[in-house]
Amino acid sequence: MEKELENLLVSLKNELDKCTKEFDVLNLKSKYLGKKSRLSEILSELKNMSVEDKRLYGSVINNTKKQMEQEVNEKIENLDSKVNISFDDTIDYDVNNGSLHPVTIVAKEVTDCLKKMGFTVVSGPEMESEYYNFEALNVPKDHPARDMQDTYYLDNGMLLRTQTSDNQIRGMENYGAPLRICAPGRTFRNEDLDANHENTFFQIEGMVIDKNISIENLMYVMQELLKEVFHTNIKVRLRPGFFPFTEPSYEMDMSCVICGGKGCPTCKNSGWIELIGCGMVHPNVLRAGGIDSEQYTGFAFGIGLTRLAMMKYKINDIRVLNSGDIRYLKNFDIK
Amino acid sequence: MLISCNKLKSYIKNSSDIDWENIWNTFTIRTAEVENVKKMGNNIDNVVIAEIKECKKHPDSDHMHVLMVDCGEKELIQVVCGAPNVRVGLKTAYIKVGGHIDGMEIKARPLRGILSNGMCCSGKELGISDNHDGIIELPNDAVVGMDIKEYLPINDIIVEIDNKSLTNRPDLWGHYGIAREIAAITNHELLPLDIEEIKNDKEDLQIVIKNPELCYRYTGLKLDNLKNNKTPLDMQVFLYYVGMRSISLFVDLTNYLMLELGQPMHAFDSRVVKKIEVGLANDNDTYITLDGVERKLTKNMLMIKNEDKYFGIAGIMGGLDSEILNDTDSIFLESANFNAGSIRKTAVALGLRTEASARYEKSLDPNMTDLAIKRLVYLLKRENPNLVISSNMTDIYPQKLQKGSIKLHKDVLNTYMGRNLDDNEVKNILEKLGFEITIHKEYFEVIVPTYRATKDIKIEQDLIEEIVRMYGLENFEPKPLKLDLTIKEHETVYNQEYEVKYLLASKYDMHEVNSYIWYDTEMLKKLNVFKDGVKLIGKSENNILRDDLSFSLMNIVDTNFKNYSQFEIFEIGTIIENNVNKRMLSIILANDENKIETIYLKAKDIVKYIFKVLKNQSVEFLNSVNEKEYYDVDLGKIICVNNIRIGQLNVLNKKSTNKLCKKKVVVCIDIDFDKYVNLDVKAKVATEVSKYPIVSLDYTIILPENIKYEILKNVVSDFKSKLIKSFSLIGIYKNKYTIRYILGSDNKTLEQKDLQTFKERFIEHIKNNNFDIEE
Repeated sequence: MEKELENLLVSLKNELDKCTKEFDVLNLKSKYLGKKSRLSEILSELKNMSVEDKRLYGSVINNTKKQMEQEVNEKIENLDSKVNISFDDTIDYDVNNGSLHPVTIVAKEVTDCLKKMGFTVVSGPEMESEYYNFEALNVPKDHPARDMQDTYYLDNGMLLRTQTSDNQIRGMENYGAPLRICAPGRTFRNEDLDANHENTFFQIEGMVIDKNISIENLMYVMQELLKEVFHTNIKVRLRPGFFPFTEPSYEMDMSCVICGGKGCPTCKNSGWIELIGCGMVHPNVLRAGGIDSEQYTGFAFGIGLTRLAMMKYKINDIRVLNSGDIRYLKNFDIK
Repeated sequence: MLISCNKLKSYIKNSSDIDWENIWNTFTIRTAEVENVKKMGNNIDNVVIAEIKECKKHPDSDHMHVLMVDCGEKELIQVVCGAPNVRVGLKTAYIKVGGHIDGMEIKARPLRGILSNGMCCSGKELGISDNHDGIIELPNDAVVGMDIKEYLPINDIIVEIDNKSLTNRPDLWGHYGIAREIAAITNHELLPLDIEEIKNDKEDLQIVIKNPELCYRYTGLKLDNLKNNKTPLDMQVFLYYVGMRSISLFVDLTNYLMLELGQPMHAFDSRVVKKIEVGLANDNDTYITLDGVERKLTKNMLMIKNEDKYFGIAGIMGGLDSEILNDTDSIFLESANFNAGSIRKTAVALGLRTEASARYEKSLDPNMTDLAIKRLVYLLKRENPNLVISSNMTDIYPQKLQKGSIKLHKDVLNTYMGRNLDDNEVKNILEKLGFEITIHKEYFEVIVPTYRATKDIKIEQDLIEEIVRMYGLENFEPKPLKLDLTIKEHETVYNQEYEVKYLLASKYDMHEVNSYIWYDTEMLKKLNVFKDGVKLIGKSENNILRDDLSFSLMNIVDTNFKNYSQFEIFEIGTIIENNVNKRMLSIILANDENKIETIYLKAKDIVKYIFKVLKNQSVEFLNSVNEKEYYDVDLGKIICVNNIRIGQLNVLNKKSTNKLCKKKVVVCIDIDFDKYVNLDVKAKVATEVSKYPIVSLDYTIILPENIKYEILKNVVSDFKSKLIKSFSLIGIYKNKYTIRYILGSDNKTLEQKDLQTFKERFIEHIKNNNFDIEE
């Protein structure tokens, strides 16, 4: 009998395994545990047994019954927890995402990095006066930079700023020394459009004024900035440059990432991209900003954000950036 | 600017110690950007000097000849040549069989049946001129058999330096200046130039400077008994390599001096020179320059005049009538110095930028005009040993530029450099560059050579630049800024702009665009819209600055309709309104015409959402009178926060929309971002949540025709009850509006009778206002 009980349990288990619906499980329950089941028969046979046999088999039969009930209940619970699949779970739609402009994304990275170094972000006007764009920045009246070819002059006596450096003067005037500001913004130069030239592009200006600021501080900030934006050590070189508002002035070039430094149209075959103009703030500029040039020194820099975005995303035609063409823009996501 | 290393080598003592191919990387980080370094002569070999000994017509050709040439080997060699200038006795360049020109191997091969063993070649084939009219003609003293590369400076390294990076260095616009820099960088000695001293024992030339503020110096010399011979070949090669064409000895020499010293010079045919006068032109006069073009002059242009006739445009180009001719035997040399700004303006106005004007624009050293003349005479005398100096070197120099001195304070130098330099190291660096220096306790007294004084060295920071670059930028160590730990947020504009952009791109899946600050003229025409406003000077197209950001984005809308039937874009940008900069946020939703309700309501939702989550402010939309002709008359809304106008919502009218794309609708939101930035985030206070359950009740109200939700909202707002927590519109079906009330009490659980009373009162209120309600 023990053998038979064991067989009953095994056979129930086997049949339960094949069940996928609660209805089938309930049928099995009545088959194995119901009034007409074999187990029921065995139980009824128990009445006719001796007291000793009753004691002996009673517990065995009851245990088997409990086990069988447990098996059935567990199966039902398991079936209950299963969601009825009534849809195609392999469906896979494309994600429709929005996008920030690549320049916005790069500007965020640059400003985030500068903020960590204690810079605050300020902004200046796109329509600017000659004073802030040139005069206060030590660009004299007959300087070529003031030429009509480079500058968009307006019929109201103002101009479209040719650089974000107007923020240097505005920053010094508004906040004085010590100072640590950066200013992303849009700038304008009267250029014919081609794959490498735009008349409307973005820069970020930076300025630090304090006591004992040195060229080495300037180098540190520039180097950390590029590391942060490109997430690798980018090959850079610093070379003498010329800007009226800094003295000494430097240009920082980075190895062209479009061609890997071999030379391509984007880097004019030189393998290097001019990215940052920088230098120690010219004493005349400090004075124009109302700061004592005997007491304070400082550095300033201007980074071509548009150029940086092109390098970072390997964009080989600058014109797509102002095209507003969603086919290009959607690739940039939001980070 | 192209620079020949052969030429540089001739100015530097022990120049063979210098690695001329690789020095240019250092030059780039010390001085100015080198764009290209090119080795010349690499692709030529086995070319020797040969003499034509026999010359016969090719029996089977109308232009070829069969030559027997002597190239220094035992036997004469037979060569077939097609050049017209072949003749017995001519010395020329011959490429042996197996030799190369332009990288191509020369083989012995029959030409129309006659074997040619090698080839005679032209200047062009040698890569040293553009001349391909015939084979190169070498002088009689050329030694037969000599390698042509030994005879002519064909092997050279030509370096291209970015002109822009020389803007501030007038001294580097000639080879000698570059040599001075290389000598300083590599610790070599610069050799002085060979010159011819000129004795002033004759008559002065008649030279008058009428405008000394524009012409700082004019030096002239008359030379006679000259022959405008051929320019020596090595000089021709040099000129060709650095981008100039050989014209004639006199012209080539003036060009050579310009390339050597950076001093532009001019040689007039002195047979026509009477009296030189430097003065301004008259308005509207015309003058034909050397290139044969008639130029219109203005009263701001400085001219060289011969008596009262124009003779040249000062510092830019000479005139046709004073041109050097082949029979010119007497020249008037001009070596002058002009005001840089004046030259630049004239060159720009005439659209005529020449090698001379490019140099004058940089503010050349006026103290080198006489040196240039002495040098030219020295070089000319080699070709014209019998030349006669027939005048004094006449030098009109009203205000001589004297050497100035600058005090360089040691503490300032050390602050800039972030380190202390040894006094002698400073002295050493500056002396190599031509400065004279005296060391004092607190400062250096530095005398600036005049070739550095006209433009770039004015203050002590300029000297610091010299020291830093020669010390080597690569020898500095980047050092972090010291943080003073004072938190200073000067303004939040940038952060707020970014926040809004991020929200629009991430929550609403919109695309950020950047556009132009001016209206596109074509688009204005296309939409037949007239815009007036601030204008760009000197431009006739795309010249009106935008005063409506959304409208200026219609180009971009137009572009995207070509690829998308629906899209949403935004920009935060500047407009110019009433002559003032204004930041605006523009959001544009474009879709099919039948989606107008969906996107119009979405637009309102977006505005409300921005102000809710970023400013904790609620927004009101007021009906606007139609403000701009290209927007729909009825659908415009004024966006208000705290009863202050902060923007507007518009729908591009059908006429304009159709011109972009048929059956579309374009909804535009414009938010005044300056006002947005200044709008405070409304203070938030935590509210208690009732511990008793709330009940929601929905009522559907049927509105009569022509009645809008606005009216219903007012009616519903008028209904007061202590139980109301909030109400909102949750759905519309045709003219049926479903309002959901959230009811509750702070001190008890609502009972059925409370709700019943509420319901009866509400229905009565609605009916009193003449609306039907579904019960």
